[in-house]
Amino acid sequence: MAAPIPLNKLDPVEVWKPWKPSAAEPWDRKWAAHLYRRAAFGASSEGLSRAVKDGFPNTLDLLLKGQPKAAEMVSTLNDVGRVAATRDAEGTQLRGWWLYCMLQGGHPLREKMALFWHNHFATSIVKVRDPNLMYRQNILFREHALGTFGPLLQDATRDGAMLVWLDSNSNVKGKANENYARELMELFSLGVGNYTEKDVREAARAFTGWHTDGTGFRFNEAQHDPDNKTVLGKTGAWKGDDIVKIVLEQPACARFLVRKLYTFFVSEIDPPAALLEPLCDQFRKSEYDVAALVKSMLASRHFYSDHAFRKRIKSPIEYALGAVLATYRRYDLSDPHSRPLAHQSLVRWLTGMGQTLFAPPNVKGWPGGRTWLNTATVLERNNFASELVTGVVWLPPPDQQAFVVSVDVPPPKAFDPARVIEEEKATRPEDVVTALLDLYVPGGVRAEAREKLVAFVADEKPTGLQLARRAREAAHAILTMPECQLA
Amino acid sequence: MISRRQFLTHALRGSSLVALGAVVPEFVAQTARAAAPGKDTILVVVEMTGGNDGINTVIPYADDLYHKARPTLRQTKQQVLVLNDEVGLHSGMQILKPMWEAGSLSVIQGVGYPNPDRSHFEAMDIWHGADPTRKATTGWLGRASGEMKNRDGGVPILHVGAGKAPLAATGAQGSGAVSVGEQNNFKLELGNSDRNEARRKLLVEVSAPAKTTGSGEDDPLLFVQRRQVQTLTAVENLRELLEGPNAVRGFGGGLQQKFQLIAGLIGKGFGTRIFYVSLDGFDTHADQGPAHQQLLTQLATSISEFFRELKETGHDERVRVMTFSEFGRRVTENGSRGTDHGAASCMLVAGTGMKGKVVGKHPSLSDLDANDLKYHTDFRRVYATLLENWLECDSKSVLGAKWDQVKDLVVR
Repeated sequence: MAAPIPLNKLDPVEVWKPWKPSAAEPWDRKWAAHLYRRAAFGASSEGLSRAVKDGFPNTLDLLLKGQPKAAEMVSTLNDVGRVAATRDAEGTQLRGWWLYCMLQGGHPLREKMALFWHNHFATSIVKVRDPNLMYRQNILFREHALGTFGPLLQDATRDGAMLVWLDSNSNVKGKANENYARELMELFSLGVGNYTEKDVREAARAFTGWHTDGTGFRFNEAQHDPDNKTVLGKTGAWKGDDIVKIVLEQPACARFLVRKLYTFFVSEIDPPAALLEPLCDQFRKSEYDVAALVKSMLASRHFYSDHAFRKRIKSPIEYALGAVLATYRRYDLSDPHSRPLAHQSLVRWLTGMGQTLFAPPNVKGWPGGRTWLNTATVLERNNFASELVTGVVWLPPPDQQAFVVSVDVPPPKAFDPARVIEEEKATRPEDVVTALLDLYVPGGVRAEAREKLVAFVADEKPTGLQLARRAREAAHAILTMPECQLA
Repeated sequence: MISRRQFLTHALRGSSLVALGAVVPEFVAQTARAAAPGKDTILVVVEMTGGNDGINTVIPYADDLYHKARPTLRQTKQQVLVLNDEVGLHSGMQILKPMWEAGSLSVIQGVGYPNPDRSHFEAMDIWHGADPTRKATTGWLGRASGEMKNRDGGVPILHVGAGKAPLAATGAQGSGAVSVGEQNNFKLELGNSDRNEARRKLLVEVSAPAKTTGSGEDDPLLFVQRRQVQTLTAVENLRELLEGPNAVRGFGGGLQQKFQLIAGLIGKGFGTRIFYVSLDGFDTHADQGPAHQQLLTQLATSISEFFRELKETGHDERVRVMTFSEFGRRVTENGSRGTDHGAASCMLVAGTGMKGKVVGKHPSLSDLDANDLKYHTDFRRVYATLLENWLECDSKSVLGAKWDQVKDLVVR
């Protein structure tokens, strides 16, 4: 394969033109899986087959719009979430609920964007201490997930959890607390270098009296500083909403968000500013239409190139949910093999891997990329994979188990990676490895690693139940492979 | 002459690391080369996350301006651990009195850098990278680990904490900190299988970097490969230390447990020269009093207990603890009995056998810079002092420039 053209030599106009599959570069499982890793949380084997059959435009359309009944499902999802938020003060049930939305809510891209906004407006239950407020913020992110950024920024600025998180009640006339004003510019809209310390101080005055009563926004007139403020060159008797408007008028705002979304959807290799300019233009002209921007990225030639393929490190959510979606088979409820997914079981694993939903490490969110992987979190991924392939992940905690399990007992078919060797009628070691790689890493792996896997499966020529067990062990090894850590 | 491979095999006898063969990373090879355990000096760095209120840590109790600026948060001479006629430690740190009296504690006042940054993340990056321009992609401890001699071998930097490895401990690619979480879960779960050794071997083989590396350092695949192999190796190393007959105790949640683990590892001759821990919660914008008291008590108790344990195993004289925070806090408390982001602050250095003292004057409470304390001692001078006089490495190559040592900070 020829080395790709360096990023700084690419034509910024050409790369964002819509991709057209060709005979040389067809719409196949490799690219379908790539799209599903980015625009969703992965896909089942059947899901990928369907995507290939439906074709590229239809698949992209389905991802952007969600399943036909996705919109109708929202109110039910929200009702369940509202209850989940009341179940425990730590938000554990709420986490399980969101994972359910991601895996089975019918609109994974919407959930992925909600996750993006959760990380962008990173608010933690550790300080907010109220799952109900976190739930409501989550609803906000879901509603605006693929909407326009302006209204989202206005609403986030008045969000109950956010107001608690950034000490809004401490911000009073004469004694401004700069916390929100600073993060608004530094992390939520402009980025460092696009405002001054004076802008922060003046903006903080505009946010004086911008309080919460513990459930939502409450403007405390008596504590508001009504005098003129000069923020980013504009002078007036500004209030909080005015500051948000002023910030949204800055050209830096589109650049800041486009770069962050590019990292989230396309590649973690830093692109030159010029490459993103056409997207920044589009984003500004559309008044920050997020859906249109995301569509431009996901439909582009650039997205279906080596500049994007496996150029991101999976977040724990992407890693765990991707592995689950590949392994799990959703049978009809009438089928004796049907098993529900115990979403709640995933919560503790995600914490071990470094991503506790509703509890990002600080207001900057999860730094992502290479920082996801240290020896502790890599080990957690390995161990998660080990318990996923044996089905142990789905068992209740040991003290609540009604029966004893062991590795000799195969997991229920719905959770069994060895199901594929039966379906593909694979008995030769090469075919077993091919079926497993096709399931977990469409797009291939290094040849030398493949050979090692084949040798491992072939050792002592297992058959029947022994072969199935060997396949699970091989599946574990595949899930630890470098290719499997990349989105 | 004995080959490196033979030496490794010999040194790691009985360990399944032998099975890892040629892919054993360099730091494991260093472990294997361990010659004189228990001689190297050790530095434990404590990050006080959130911006510790330095003014209420080393308190200028004799200054009227202090009491005026801190109407609700102030502490009096009767409350503080008096260090001299001017300053004292916050009452939460009374437990350090014996160490102070033994000369095992120094406080360094007025530490900072030009044009202080009041963003948590930027300021933290500056302290971690030792670079106010924030261009550094590696940390000062990560870079130091490449400059230091390590007779004991072993993991160069151990980050004890469940979170991500800090920038400070990040070195060149693949040679950064090894992190251990708070629970004793640093082991590979393979179930009860007679094929576990074959499976361990397979895991290394399917992740082993290719013999020829076609792509550049940018390639995420190479990074992930290294990280996976590094992990499997560290697991084997720690497995022996933690699950052997005299396993190290001390897993658990808080700072004190982390320090217990570190004391245990040092006692076991683990060979790490730099340990990194953090204590979060110092961003006290509101109702600072009780929270700050609790945090400082936790810190002081951890340090005090740590040296007590090290003394039992005879390692207390080879260990120094250094604390830092990304910035101090504003002189005047805010309207919510808290303090906002500030600038210059204090650092602590502790250890048996040093000449502890109050280093430098407390910065003036009237001559301020944008309502914040002015620094007089650049933090890189403190780093340089510890790098040269304690870790015995070339501070210039770590810090990019030659910084004067802090004369009164005597660490040996």
